[in-house]
Amino acid sequence: MDQRIVEQFRDAIGPEAVLTEPVQLVTYECDALPHLRSMPDVVLLPRSAADVQKIVRICDREGVPFVARGHGTGLSGGALPVAGGVVITLAKLNRVLEIDIPNRRVTVEPGVTNLEITRQVAPHGYYYAPDPSSQQVCSLGGNVAENSGGAHCLKYGFTVHHILAVEAVLPNGELVQIGSPLADAPGPDVLGLLVGSEGTLAVVTKVVVRILRKPESVQTLLAAFNSTSEAGAAVSEIIAAGIVPAAVEMMDAVAIEAAEAAVHPNFPPADTILIVELDGPSAEVAELFGIVEATCRNAGATRIEVAQDEAQRGRIWKGRKAAFAAMGRISPNYYVQDGVVPRTKLPEVMARIRQLAEREGIRIGNVFHAGDGNLHPLICYDERIEGQSALAERVAGEILIYCVEAGGSITGEHGVGADKKEFMPRMFSEDSLDVMQSVRDALDPKRLCNPGKVLPTPRLCGEVPGPYREHPIERAGLGERF
Amino acid sequence: MSVSEALRPGTAEDAIDGVVPLRVALPESPEDLARVLADASRERQLTVLRGGGSKIGWGRVADRIDLVIGTARLGRLVAHRYGDMTVTAQAGMPLATLNRHLFEHRQHLPVESAFEDATVGGIIATNDAGPMRHRFGTPRDLLIGVTLAMTDGRLVTAGGTVVKNVAGYDLGKLVSGSHGTLAVIVDATFKLLPLPLASMTLVGSYVDGVALARDVAALHGSQVELTSFDVYAANGRWVLLMRMASSPAATEAQAAEARRLLSSAPTVLSGDEEAALWGEQIRAPWLEGGTVLRLSWLPSNLPAVIALLARLQSRGCRVAAFAGRTMGAGLLRLEGEDSTVLAAVGDLRAAGEVGHVVILRANRRVKEQIDVWGPSTGAIEVGRVLKRKFDPQNILNAGRGPI
Ligand SMILES: Cc1cc2nc3c(=O)[nH]c(=O)nc-3n(C[C@H](O)[C@H](O)[C@H](O)COP(=O)(O)OP(=O)(O)OC[C@H]3O[C@@H](n4cnc5c(N)ncnc54)[C@H](O)[C@@H]3O)c2cc1C
Repeated sequence: MDQRIVEQFRDAIGPEAVLTEPVQLVTYECDALPHLRSMPDVVLLPRSAADVQKIVRICDREGVPFVARGHGTGLSGGALPVAGGVVITLAKLNRVLEIDIPNRRVTVEPGVTNLEITRQVAPHGYYYAPDPSSQQVCSLGGNVAENSGGAHCLKYGFTVHHILAVEAVLPNGELVQIGSPLADAPGPDVLGLLVGSEGTLAVVTKVVVRILRKPESVQTLLAAFNSTSEAGAAVSEIIAAGIVPAAVEMMDAVAIEAAEAAVHPNFPPADTILIVELDGPSAEVAELFGIVEATCRNAGATRIEVAQDEAQRGRIWKGRKAAFAAMGRISPNYYVQDGVVPRTKLPEVMARIRQLAEREGIRIGNVFHAGDGNLHPLICYDERIEGQSALAERVAGEILIYCVEAGGSITGEHGVGADKKEFMPRMFSEDSLDVMQSVRDALDPKRLCNPGKVLPTPRLCGEVPGPYREHPIERAGLGERF
Repeated sequence: MSVSEALRPGTAEDAIDGVVPLRVALPESPEDLARVLADASRERQLTVLRGGGSKIGWGRVADRIDLVIGTARLGRLVAHRYGDMTVTAQAGMPLATLNRHLFEHRQHLPVESAFEDATVGGIIATNDAGPMRHRFGTPRDLLIGVTLAMTDGRLVTAGGTVVKNVAGYDLGKLVSGSHGTLAVIVDATFKLLPLPLASMTLVGSYVDGVALARDVAALHGSQVELTSFDVYAANGRWVLLMRMASSPAATEAQAAEARRLLSSAPTVLSGDEEAALWGEQIRAPWLEGGTVLRLSWLPSNLPAVIALLARLQSRGCRVAAFAGRTMGAGLLRLEGEDSTVLAAVGDLRAAGEVGHVVILRANRRVKEQIDVWGPSTGAIEVGRVLKRKFDPQNILNAGRGPI
């Protein structure tokens, strides 16, 4: 990058906030999808919204592409740097600005971690509901950009349902307030558009979130089944009975084996296990939990374990959450795919995935949010064997196609990013993508704001999702991948 | 029917704020609708979109309306995937009809409207909701996919039919609250909820708002999970309506807990009586004449809002009805001379206790003297930038809508 521009950044936000040394830059080369890498020219560490604004103004004037980055835990290459561009890291905007318990609102800067909000409001009996498993480390800015979900989004919704307002810098450098701590702001829901736009429309500098009262009671059970379709039937019955569980998670035999090898949760031997959690007022949980138990039994559960205390509940969740990282115990490499199918299509799509695994001679484990049909197939391979990486890539892509054919989506929570943009035409017509592009062009006519993400670029067709590599966060035991 | 047959001259019945549209189009298919819209854009015809017409008067007064495009003939239920708890319906389907279909599988779209004719498209375009928003949010929170007709004649989609999906820009959110200014909503897909197994409503009566606000605060800090919540004041009577809906024993237990927190014994309603009460309650702010405003506040400010209403009243503006839906949003019906109403709106907009004061219903004279939408916001500025792309000829609800 032109030294003259680098000097402008130094003048604007201070020389110590401008990183240009390769050893400093290498950390920012990729997010948690490490097979997509690109070295940024410059990394900028603003400390305030005003700093962000100054940076974006320089980028706008000089035609420099910029990529916002939270804590780099994204799984779709959303924060992948752009050649010749800068990375704007929001890590230093990490203050909790206001906690308003009576109005159940918290205002934070984007670099605050997801769990920090809950940590700060827990003493008052409140929590922040969206709970991605990376919550100890991922940033609120990243959550807003990805519209992140968590195990409990079946009942509580995604990030978009819990954000009241943001302050953001538009690609032209203008600082805007979108949304309001008060309800019913007039006009189109621009906030709803920004949430989930993967950092392509603005850089978020402040977030107002809604917090919830901690539920009075939580109950969790684990049920073992002889087949995925029986477990799937149990889920359908529970939901048809008018019950909306806080979480419904499913694991198949491969995933159970991996979890057992890694953290020994003592899961019963089974083809499929189902974890169901209810929360809410004690009387409601007590009454509905009995129905859930009976439903699982009637659907053919061979064994049911009800968590008797927090420790047992913790063990069940540990087994579930460890399943991903645990794949490393049974396979040298693996892909984590993220796709969605309508819940009733789960058995059909699972059968297709099994056939695919048999046909290609590859092992695929399945751990997923069964309540909302969000699949996370784990595709096992060994990169040392020639052709296996390519095969795994092809299989991962094929599964996405099954999801779309079943009426689902190519991503339920990890985002499109740089990774899946070439799959977008499978879900949306050319006209639809063109209109999405026009939204982007309206706000970012110079195409400088996180370019090359979300919407397909014709020249790169045939790209496939990348292999799984353990993220430092997982290695450090700070979070497991959902 | 050909496109031209579906086009008729406007009549007095089609008038909006006294402005009779030149023509009314009632296309029968999404493709026809898109064609009519593209023609209108090419010919720069000022176009108003109409669902059931129940909220068509919301907005500024138009100088002229060339065309009304109605969705009355696009009222098909596209698919109720009851196993997946999602539904796709065309924009012109009345909300009430939709919920009747869903009832067959004991499901519902938990959105209420004061208006019998409210359609799927209309509730999205206005993002209007009733007291159940306390638990389930507004239409934008339940919307998971849309088909839109763009002014250039293209039919496009965003979102999908699954409840969890982050692929692409959420254009469904963008058109929520857009009041027909960006594109035509052709069909919409929602996530659904099961009908509750049991339901019960408590009604507390109060001599003044202060006592009511104390009970509201007690409930707000408790573990009582209400499905609907409504504060209502009219003719010097204050009532608090609380609905709990869950499993039978849980509903009882919740009601008992709420009763324990309230300062005086509430009336208990269930079954048909309960349903009738809520129906009335939702319609109440709209029933008689007067100016209806929408406004919002921070929940902790309720006592201050109540005091503010008393001040308005003492200045000669009759506060005919106040309906506080959920903990911080509601409707206000004012009666009085135009000048008094205008002054009251001005006072409310200047007051720190409330925000987003929007005039939903008023006579033409009032609407001509004050901006119904109120001061601009960051979202409205961004909305305008997007509108230039979506509607380059500026035909859609031009001048009337919020952007
Ligand atoms: C172990 C592990 C487990 C995970 N579990 C889940 C899960 O359960 N559910 C889930 O949904 N996701 C999960 N993720 C994915 C990831 O954690 C989320 O997408 C998270 O929201 C990313 O936050 P981040 O701060 O790391 O963002 P980054 O990776 O730094 O950035 C992600 C995207 O957000 C944009 N961005 C970041 N900050 C801003 C800002 N201030 N303004 C504008 N754009 C911005 C970036 O440009 C990029 O496009 C997991 C990831 C890992 C590694």
